[in-house]
Amino acid sequence: MADFLAAYSIQNWLESCPQGYLEGTEYGHEPNEREPALLFDSPALLEQAIQSTVQLVVGERCALAASSGLINAAPDHESKRFLATQTLDEARHVEIFTQRLYDLGVKKDALESTIEHYANPHLVRFAEVLLEKVDKGDFIAGVVGQNIVLEGMAFSVFEMMKASSEQLNPKFAHTLAGTIADERRHVGFGENRIGSLIVAHPEKKPEVEKMQKDMSYHMLATFSLAFSQNADGFAAGQKLASGSREWHGTDLTTASPEQLEAVLADTVLHEFKVRLGRIGLEYQTPAIS
Amino acid sequence: MAPLDPHALDSEAFLEEVHSFEFWFQAVEGYLSERPYGHRPDLPEPELGDTEREGLITTLCSYCVGETIALEGASSMVGFAPNRRQKIFLATQVVDEARHLEVLLHRLLALGVTDPEAEIARRGNRNLLAFKRRLLEFVAGKDWEAALFAQNVILECMEFTVFQSHARTADPLTREVLEGIVVDERRHMGFGENDLGRRLATAPHVRARLAEVRKELDPLVLATFEETQSALGTPRANRSTLGRDYLATVERLGFDA
Repeated sequence: MADFLAAYSIQNWLESCPQGYLEGTEYGHEPNEREPALLFDSPALLEQAIQSTVQLVVGERCALAASSGLINAAPDHESKRFLATQTLDEARHVEIFTQRLYDLGVKKDALESTIEHYANPHLVRFAEVLLEKVDKGDFIAGVVGQNIVLEGMAFSVFEMMKASSEQLNPKFAHTLAGTIADERRHVGFGENRIGSLIVAHPEKKPEVEKMQKDMSYHMLATFSLAFSQNADGFAAGQKLASGSREWHGTDLTTASPEQLEAVLADTVLHEFKVRLGRIGLEYQTPAIS
Repeated sequence: MAPLDPHALDSEAFLEEVHSFEFWFQAVEGYLSERPYGHRPDLPEPELGDTEREGLITTLCSYCVGETIALEGASSMVGFAPNRRQKIFLATQVVDEARHLEVLLHRLLALGVTDPEAEIARRGNRNLLAFKRRLLEFVAGKDWEAALFAQNVILECMEFTVFQSHARTADPLTREVLEGIVVDERRHMGFGENDLGRRLATAPHVRARLAEVRKELDPLVLATFEETQSALGTPRANRSTLGRDYLATVERLGFDA
């Protein structure tokens, strides 16, 4: 275990992240990049950008609280140190997505009210399920919830958003590219560290699987509400795109909101099944009411 | 473009700037690049006598206990910090403390300690463990003022004083590691001083509360110094200097007993 954890040292993190792919960036993108003017010409598109960025801030605030809260519960110094790097990664994500809200015109004194107004209630509940485990100091459930479920979801959401933004909004696409690189590291730690702990504590399986089932339910409800609420914004964005943009077999420039929701949900759930299987857990399908 | 001078900004913009990942990154970039594990890679391992080496190992074990306390304290405070900027600053502090722990563990390995965690458990300073219990009680109670004072003023001043003093007499390799840590501690102390200073300006009654916390923790700090200096072989007659320096640093920050 110690050998694999050595790859997650502060030194490696410093060299690969701040001194690596973030070198020369400002809030995660190149310093001269700006949000595209066409975003500000379409109220539907601007509102959709603010609304989706708010969800990113809500998710990253949860990830910051979870990763910092798990440090005390970690059973060894190596895991504490990795979680310290993850804490700062998540804080950076909170910062860059908050900055994007400012770039989109949200006033600093209206930040919290904007977040409160647009936060998806299902995403808030998703975060609460995870933070209940963290508050109890449950390291195994906390890392599965944070580094497999939350990060797994974030990874696919960021990839889809990046694919949608590359043509019209390189600034946002570059911002997302750095967060995707971070999330890949976080998911890797979760898989590698938790597998051996699950083997050592098989009695934890039912509780952890129940948490995954609850979180998956709230995640799917989040997607459902997000895509049904933003139909006008998606349509406005698709009208501006030229050519096709394929992601997991779906053309993002022509797909309906229902098709977009389906491809995102299918991608995330497929990832969950693979990653949970690697750590010895079986994916639990949530009951859809 | 001229570099940004944060002190030219108004109060809100200043806090937005200095409590950011961007600011942290610019601050550490200079002294961490090309210093893996806190020192230049070409610095040779110093030749130490057995007594000196043993004393250094015991001292570094206590430093690891201190840095673990700081890591656990700072990370737990992220959850109840009053606003986003404070959370982000504390997240930068979390990674600083974890880095300190890592470079000190790395130094122990270089000194031939094969199982640093076991060695720390065996040699770690008992007074620091009592300090840790108290800090984590403040944290568990989500008592922001007491936790911030214990963590970013008392603990950071203690580490700042002892590392700065030790660096003056340490071998070149240990000195470079300690000097890199001291720069971070200065930033952490500044955060505590700034936040608590603002609170004291609008709520002077907080001062009495902090004085109570200090009365409780100062003896643990001074006892820690005594033990550390004994391990380092500091002559008894010179040991009070460190305690005086610590008390002066805390008072200079505006927190008199």
